Amino acid sequence: MFHWLEKNPFFFAVGVFVVIAYAGIVTVVPDFMESARPLKGVKPYTTLQLAGRQIYIENDCNACHSQLIRPFKSETDRYGKYSLSGEYAYDRPFLWGSRRIGPDLHRVGNYRTTDWNENHMLDPESVVPGSIMPKYGFMFDKSMDFDTAYAEAYTVKKVFNVPYDKPGMPKLGTYEEAKKAAIKEAGAIVADMKDQAVKDAYKKGDIKEIVAIIAYLNSLK
Amino acid sequence: MNWLNDNVNLLTLIGAAAIVILTVVIVGKYIKQMKTDKSTGELSGNKWDGIEEYKNPLPMGWSLAFIGVIVWGLWYWLAGYPLGTFSQLGQYNEEVSNYTKRFESKWANPDKDTLMGMGEGVFLVKCAPCHGITGDGMNGKARDLTTWGTEDHIVDVVLKGSSGQGYPLGQMPAGMLDKASATAVAAYIVQDLAKTGKSKHPELVEQGKALYATCGACHGNDGKGNGGSAPALADYGKAQFIVDVLNHGKKGSIGNMLKFNDGRLTDIQKTAVGTYVNSLNKE
Ligand code: HEC
Ligand code: HEC
Ligand code: HEC
Repeated sequence: MFHWLEKNPFFFAVGVFVVIAYAGIVTVVPDFMESARPLKGVKPYTTLQLAGRQIYIENDCNACHSQLIRPFKSETDRYGKYSLSGEYAYDRPFLWGSRRIGPDLHRVGNYRTTDWNENHMLDPESVVPGSIMPKYGFMFDKSMDFDTAYAEAYTVKKVFNVPYDKPGMPKLGTYEEAKKAAIKEAGAIVADMKDQAVKDAYKKGDIKEIVAIIAYLNSLK
Repeated sequence: MNWLNDNVNLLTLIGAAAIVILTVVIVGKYIKQMKTDKSTGELSGNKWDGIEEYKNPLPMGWSLAFIGVIVWGLWYWLAGYPLGTFSQLGQYNEEVSNYTKRFESKWANPDKDTLMGMGEGVFLVKCAPCHGITGDGMNGKARDLTTWGTEDHIVDVVLKGSSGQGYPLGQMPAGMLDKASATAVAAYIVQDLAKTGKSKHPELVEQGKALYATCGACHGNDGKGNGGSAPALADYGKAQFIVDVLNHGKKGSIGNMLKFNDGRLTDIQKTAVGTYVNSLNKE
């Protein structure tokens, strides 16, 4: 067998790899297979939250904000429980980020609220003196893109079997049904907001981007 | 210098001398052997570029040890390796719970200065983004804590009502008493029920005590909150009153503050921040 391995460098390399990486293989692989599954209670995003997520990506919030709480006491004291891989099962792509110019946002929905986010997105310095986060006032004018959000939800449902419409999971349904649900969900957020222009637009059936991004931030728990 | 008196130095020196002597003796022996020795023995017959090899079997002990290690290695790979018995998160959780225990016992009986210091730290990190660094609520973005929790605030609550902490009794209706009666009740609550200090209107305490019956229906005649159905007014002005607020959260007329129940604050930290918040109102 040894002579055979000596004559087949490829298999020899595989053998060497297995010997060296053995501890890694037996500890990492089974754990990985298990923890890559959706954690119990983790649900796919609603279309409104997905629209907010798309705005988050579009504006590169992830360039300044991570979404990954590491198991360090200093982080769990500030942000809450450390993140588990199963929590990202429906994040496509995940938004772990690699820089923290601002704080981690993985559980920001546990301690920041609609009215606070509204003030903060309009003018971060109005609540956090000296903040270097940019103002996102244009989100109060720009309408959210429901169609793309629905397309994304529909696609991941069909292609990746994301469990929309399953018992205990968010309902997606047809385009019309999903739109109705998104408007209803947005209504609850608009009710907690103060900006009159956003409220007036909502009454006319026009949901502003700020509503969607707040829905997304509130869903991060 | 008396460095030979030191045991460690002495031992090191003896060891060094031993190494030198042994090296000289052993190397000398081999050098001599190289000069005189002739190789003997049975050749194996293998030839590599003209170099040949003696038959030189492994000593018995060596081969047994070698085979033993291989057998042990296989066993360790397949059965002995501590599979599934170590978890990084488990270790983390264990260390944190040990830390928390130490933290709790260290601050089990904090004095007022400790609470104030800890409370200020907690406030600046956890509360200031909403209530402002000075606790003034930043132009109505959150409750102004420099006027909250005072005797006047009770009057205000009675006149305007209060809601949003999710107590079983729901909300407290506005205008149950007029301003004069409310002032009397407030005097009673501060001076007699909660006993946090002297009221601004000590002459009204007796009158307030009689009027308190209105409040007692919900808040309990002893002010203990009727078993958690309404805030415990007997704690009014104390840290515990704020701990209760933090445990309930509040979605009221000003805005929304979520519960602090996700483990980011320990009980002692909540008490500390409560002590600090109470010091913010200048009454
Ligand atoms: C230039 C970097 C930068 C970008 C881009 C950025 N932020 Fe921030 N963000 C910060 C900084 C710095 C803070 C901390 C100061 C503050 O609260 O304003 C912060 C704070 C926050 C907070 C409050 C978190 C907390 O724990 O208090 C939220 C929520 C937030 N950002 C959301 C967003 C969203 C949504 C976007 C994208 C639309 C975004 N940020 C883009 C830098 C950034
Ligand atoms: C119908 C029941 C009811 C009655 C009667 C009542 N309260 Fe309350 N009270 C409540 C409830 C419920 C809350 C908690 C409200 C909330 O969710 O913020 C409360 C809260 C309060 C608070 C705390 C407000 C804060 O800022 O946290 C004060 C002070 C108070 N009541 C004083 C009084 C006084 C004084 C009276 C008597 C004049 C009274 N209450 C009568 C139900 C009642
Ligand atoms: C997300 C923003 C936010 C954070 C963080 C926050 N608060 Fe508040 N808090 C509010 C708002 C908004 C109100 C007013 C609620 C209302 O009455 O509408 C409030 C009300 C209060 C009240 C008055 C409650 C009552 O019964 O009227 C107290 C006391 C208080 N906060 C203490 C704290 C403390 C202590 C902390 C930090 C541990 C804290 N808050 C963190 C937003 C916040």
